[in-house]
Amino acid sequence: MDPPAFASLAHVRIILLPVGNIRRSTFDQWASEVRSIESIPLGDIPAESKDERARFMPSPLASGHVHLSYQSHPPAAAHNALALFRPSDFPLGLVGIASCSHADSLPTIQASFKSAVKDMSLHKAAFPVSQNCFVFEEHDANLDLGDKFPGLVVIPSMMANKHVHISTLLAGLCSHILGDFATVMQSLESPLGNEYLNASLFPSLPSASEMPRSLDPEIPQRDSLPPLPSYNSQPDLSTNGSARSKTPAASKRMSTGPGLVPSRTASLPTTPVTAKKRPNLLGAASSHGRLFKVLADLFLLAGRHADSQIWYSEAIALFKGSPHDTSWHAAALEGLATIPVIEAWSSGSATANGADEKEPWQDIVDKLTQATALYHKSTPNSEHERTYPLLAYLYSQSVIRHTSLLFAVWSAKGWGPHAFGKLIQPGTTPYLPSSTASSSTDHNGVTITVVNGRTKASYAELERLTTITGITRTQIATTLSQVHGPWLLHLAARERIGILQTVAGMFGALGYLRKEAYILRELLGSIMDLIVCGREESGGARPNGAGLGIRGAPVGNASTTAGTVGVRENPRLEGNESMLRIIKHICRVHGVDIESVKLVDIGAIAATSNGDAADDAEEEDLDDSPQDPFGWPELQIGIIREAIAVAEALPDYPSVAQFSLSSLKSLHPVMSHSDQVHLYHTATRALTTAIRRGDRRTVEYWAGKPIVSIEVLSLPLIRLPIEKPLSLLAKANDQSGVDTILTGVKDPFLYNPRKVASGQTQSILVQNERFEVVMTLRNPFVFDLQLESLALSTSGVRIESEAMPITIPANTYHPVTMTGKAAEPGTLTIRGCVVQAPGGLPREYILPLSTEEEEETRSRRRSAIESEVGRAKYAGLESRPWKRMSKRDSKQVSKKQPLRFLECKVVPEQPLLRIRRTSLTHAAVMLYNGETSTIRLTLENVSSLTIDFVRITFDDSTIAPAQQILAEGELSVFETYETEYDLIHRPVFTWDAGREASRVDPGEKASVAVKCFGKVGCTSGAIHVSYAYINRHHETLKEKPPDVFHTRQLSYPVVVTVYHMLECHSMDISPYSRITAFASTTEEDDDSPAGKARRALFDVEDVADWCLFSVDVRNTYGSPFEVTFERRMHNHRAMTTAHMTTTVLVPPGSTTRIVLPIRKILLTEEQTSKPIPTLSDRQFVVVKSNLSSAEEKAQRELFWYREELFKTVQGRWRETGGMRSGELSLRQQRMTQPMLEALRTETARVQMSLVRYEDEVAMPVDVDPSGSKYLPPPNEFVYMRTKVTNLAPAELVLVANLALEPAQHTIYQGVLTGIPMGRLAPGESYETELPVAFLSRGRFDVSAEIRALNVSDTTSPVGRGDLRAVVEADFS
Amino acid sequence: MSHHLYLLSPSDTPLYSLTHYSSKPAQTTTTSPLASNLPSWSTSAFAGTLTALSGATSATQAHHVQGGTVRIGGGQDRHVIQMIANASLDVVEEVVRKDNMMYLKSVDKFNEWTVSAFVTPGNMKFVLLHEARNDDGIKSFFHEVWELYVKTMLNPFHTAHTPIRSPVFDARVRASAKKYL
Repeated sequence: MDPPAFASLAHVRIILLPVGNIRRSTFDQWASEVRSIESIPLGDIPAESKDERARFMPSPLASGHVHLSYQSHPPAAAHNALALFRPSDFPLGLVGIASCSHADSLPTIQASFKSAVKDMSLHKAAFPVSQNCFVFEEHDANLDLGDKFPGLVVIPSMMANKHVHISTLLAGLCSHILGDFATVMQSLESPLGNEYLNASLFPSLPSASEMPRSLDPEIPQRDSLPPLPSYNSQPDLSTNGSARSKTPAASKRMSTGPGLVPSRTASLPTTPVTAKKRPNLLGAASSHGRLFKVLADLFLLAGRHADSQIWYSEAIALFKGSPHDTSWHAAALEGLATIPVIEAWSSGSATANGADEKEPWQDIVDKLTQATALYHKSTPNSEHERTYPLLAYLYSQSVIRHTSLLFAVWSAKGWGPHAFGKLIQPGTTPYLPSSTASSSTDHNGVTITVVNGRTKASYAELERLTTITGITRTQIATTLSQVHGPWLLHLAARERIGILQTVAGMFGALGYLRKEAYILRELLGSIMDLIVCGREESGGARPNGAGLGIRGAPVGNASTTAGTVGVRENPRLEGNESMLRIIKHICRVHGVDIESVKLVDIGAIAATSNGDAADDAEEEDLDDSPQDPFGWPELQIGIIREAIAVAEALPDYPSVAQFSLSSLKSLHPVMSHSDQVHLYHTATRALTTAIRRGDRRTVEYWAGKPIVSIEVLSLPLIRLPIEKPLSLLAKANDQSGVDTILTGVKDPFLYNPRKVASGQTQSILVQNERFEVVMTLRNPFVFDLQLESLALSTSGVRIESEAMPITIPANTYHPVTMTGKAAEPGTLTIRGCVVQAPGGLPREYILPLSTEEEEETRSRRRSAIESEVGRAKYAGLESRPWKRMSKRDSKQVSKKQPLRFLECKVVPEQPLLRIRRTSLTHAAVMLYNGETSTIRLTLENVSSLTIDFVRITFDDSTIAPAQQILAEGELSVFETYETEYDLIHRPVFTWDAGREASRVDPGEKASVAVKCFGKVGCTSGAIHVSYAYINRHHETLKEKPPDVFHTRQLSYPVVVTVYHMLECHSMDISPYSRITAFASTTEEDDDSPAGKARRALFDVEDVADWCLFSVDVRNTYGSPFEVTFERRMHNHRAMTTAHMTTTVLVPPGSTTRIVLPIRKILLTEEQTSKPIPTLSDRQFVVVKSNLSSAEEKAQRELFWYREELFKTVQGRWRETGGMRSGELSLRQQRMTQPMLEALRTETARVQMSLVRYEDEVAMPVDVDPSGSKYLPPPNEFVYMRTKVTNLAPAELVLVANLALEPAQHTIYQGVLTGIPMGRLAPGESYETELPVAFLSRGRFDVSAEIRALNVSDTTSPVGRGDLRAVVEADFS
Repeated sequence: MSHHLYLLSPSDTPLYSLTHYSSKPAQTTTTSPLASNLPSWSTSAFAGTLTALSGATSATQAHHVQGGTVRIGGGQDRHVIQMIANASLDVVEEVVRKDNMMYLKSVDKFNEWTVSAFVTPGNMKFVLLHEARNDDGIKSFFHEVWELYVKTMLNPFHTAHTPIRSPVFDARVRASAKKYL
């Protein structure tokens, strides 16, 4: 339906009708040919000769035109009442267009033309309709028509200038029409006619029987033009007599209200004005205002503007007093307003109206404003309700006419020929300055024009028009708004749609998108109402019901059993698309991108993964960053609901889903819970239906990026392969692995870049074994999001992984574990996941590892967005989200970088070992301190691969603390050594690698024995079995053997309990003096074996060579233990006495001192001067001690002698009455300087004795029984003999110093100090004698100190000797 | 007689809305005779949309209730009023771009509503739908609301897009509406 032109009042309407079997394209071609003739100059119209009919004929040489407008439909029957009120709305001519190739088909064409005319039921109209049928020849048919077929005009295909011919024919038709005007006018001019005219607000001509007969006979004689035989519709009325034609007319009126004939008398008195005024011309009872107005209308149509203007003025003068004629008044004003425009068009210049101070159109506008106001207040008080729609229609038309004037002037940049052209022949899309309109025709024949939002005129362009013309957009809009009101409901659907369409188009062209959207909603409502109602009425049988889909079998459908089988009708979808376009436009105006979820044709799924990456990032940014909301949430949701309702009603199920999901996606932050749930369910339902119906379209994945993180679960420890370089294998065979235990895995570098890099190394997976990936998915919605499938998206090696359906709970982050299996070794890249919503398409979401740079870019971008939040640079529709983004994007050029993804290394198949059984119960071992037991593990190879490499390492709870202490480095050298010794030589677990089989065939078992040593402080330990399949079989020789191999580790944790039962403390070493030797050998003389053993133990040949080792052993445990100390001496001459043991039973809670004589030790200078070794190969051992060299020397001596001591003396224990035994460590005992002195063999041994010379024969002085004291006689000279033996390995020059205590009671001869001993070779001895007399009774102590002169350190003596003499004899 | 006030952010999001029923007697607005005697022509849901949007419901309701104060009730009408307020932004935007006035009196008319607007320098738009002319009162009202709004904006945590939920603001706006409208 074309919008009415401004000048439609001056348009003669002609209906173009296809006749016969004409192809559409042919019809369109000829119709457009006819349509191109928009006006016919008055001079071209053949004048009618007869006087009556010549009334409206143009005067000769008249300038001006008859304007034609072409229609394809007759007006609605409901408007017939307007026939006299507005003749221009009704077709006055009818042109059939036929095409013919054979002469014999002409009768058929004539017949079908007649029936078509009859179908149009134009004979109901008040005006006679002139008819003609143009038959266009095809293919040189050469038809000879003659006069056989009145009403048909054949246009030969040979004819060169068809245009001229057609316009001539049309001019003839116009002439006919003008002639008919006279006829009608004549009947109205009669008094009776005038009465009819005034009978009601919208009068109609009475039925034919009541018309004066005088008109009738003329009708058949009108055919004066042979080529244009007029075919009048009136013969139907006139010839068929009264009875038949009256009945339908009467019955029609009866149905709607009181019939005309009875009401005539009733209505006449209600018009008092007309009753009073006596007719001066024709003697009718009523005023002639209406008559004049009709006359003026007809003159306007006939192109005689001067006459028209006169009669309009006359009519208006008469209408002014009459309250009942307001609408007639308004119509007259409208007509009057039309005239200047048409005249201006004819003259073709804008300067016709010279008034400068006033715009030329102002006068017209005033008239139209007045007309609108008059229509607005016209009251159909006593009329029946049919007039409401008509009044509303006239009112709307008037407003639109008014607006279109303003609009045309505005859009044509002023009052000029362009504007006139628009006003008179607006064309099909009048409201678009540029040709960016997209129009389509829906099933109702309604052309919908949607202004493309993106290409619409800019503000500046629109404003420029305003500046040029002086008409503001607001002005136009205000005028246009008047059309909108409740009265729209009065209108019939067609008119309403037409008006709304026009209004929307104008608003759109004005750039008032919101108002356009408002009106479009109403338009949609109207159209959808028709669709819905039409469907309800038509049932299932309507063949061409647009948009009907499957529906349950209707009751009336006899062909199917009711309710069981769905009937699928063939839906026509042409109109749907444009309905949806309107909806999308409305939604976009309100800031809802209802197409944010795309519809995709299933058939056309191509590779879509290319561009996704950028989209993802984009999307993520959008998601993350806070955004200013746009729009009115309440309205948005309302509009979305409507959109969905429309799509459902059409029905277009994929669109329903698209709309629901798009709005969910973009609006869910402002949506209420119930709305979200509702939309989700609607979408789900719609998709199901769409799939069931075999719709080719479906939605893409919509729910935003679901994946938040992805993570490969590392394999369980027993399955995790550890990569080792193959070169390690060669080394491993001869290395004990001690180092690693001692120091831990210690990195010599403080900062190791390789280590950092290796921190995020790819995780290792094993071929043909399952791995697990944990994905964290997010659901931002308030409903449980159902995913039809969730699959891993990988590249690289082939994997077997199954997609699975999953439901993400509402509003949560949900971790999902997916399993997969790599089918081949290599590198596996996990890109992300592929998700698919039910009924939708799968979509891949990738999750790249973000590099630092990328992260930075992103954060910068985010902060850019954040800084824009809250600031409104763009307001209104400019701030719609997608506009904002596009503006920002243009400034930022993002560099594309190759994305990195999570990568895993898939290694070849690995064997698998498991612990079949162990000798432990509950993996716990209980030990006494120092005890050693054996743990036996049975391993089983459960894989199909051979294990040809087994290595066992251990860990226990004592290692880590010790390593830590060592690492801290705060220990003294000595302590460090102790700790290291403890770690290396006394490990908790040991394994003899050589003895065990290192090959386990598939399915075989192997056992491993591990020794476990009880060490106090150890609470737990672990046995790690590393194994591998190294000597693989390679399929091809070309394959390069890998330089790495993979081991797997099996760990067996052991709980260790160590009881601390024996404690050693206060170790001491004292000189073995003669008296002790005597005491221990003599005081007990029992003959028990223990006693004998004791005696044997203490029986040493030379006391001076020995010293006594003693230690306290305390039993803190609950049961007695036998403690054995053993001395073992190497490289000694007397092997018999070298190996001796002493065994003591230590009862619970008691302390026993163990004494053991041991031979003195002498270590060479080189040995003792060695620094205390470190057992590890630690580099950079900085000596932290700040000891003097002497102190250091002493410390080293202590260390080495202690080591030597522990080699010599070893302790063991045995459970009394039990089987368990173990060793007893002395390592905790410290050695002191005196102990060292006692232990060390002197450099020079001093043997002192007292001798008495009798007759030159040396006699030893008496010695007491223990041999420790000399008993010299008093006051008598005895010789004190000092024998010095050089025991050192080097020559010594010795000097002896003697001391006698108390010196005052002795007399001696010679010197006591500095007695020279001379140079003594090793082993050589020297004796010197000193005569001494003891002068009193008592005890005398003689001590000797030997100093060496040729050694560097002369301060300390190299040997000491002492002697005790007791003088007892009484002095008499 | 009712008034509807909307405070719209630069991105057209309502931050505050108020419906005020004035105690003043409704002026006898000249309703067109065309608006009466409306047919109930269809019962489909879409017809309801049309009826509401064209303003027919309020007209018929007015007919029934005889111009009483409780004219605007159901959600549908509320929606329509919001639509009208939103649609009037087209005109407001245009006028604001050309004139630098803050108070735009009777800037738009739609159905039975007259729309007055007030645009702050920060591009906040106060839109008031009213039926009767009351220019001075509306101007004063707008100025008071502006003052209140500025006080709200003094809050450093309040952006141009934060909905105003302060009960104090609400109470004061209501008081102001009572005073002037």
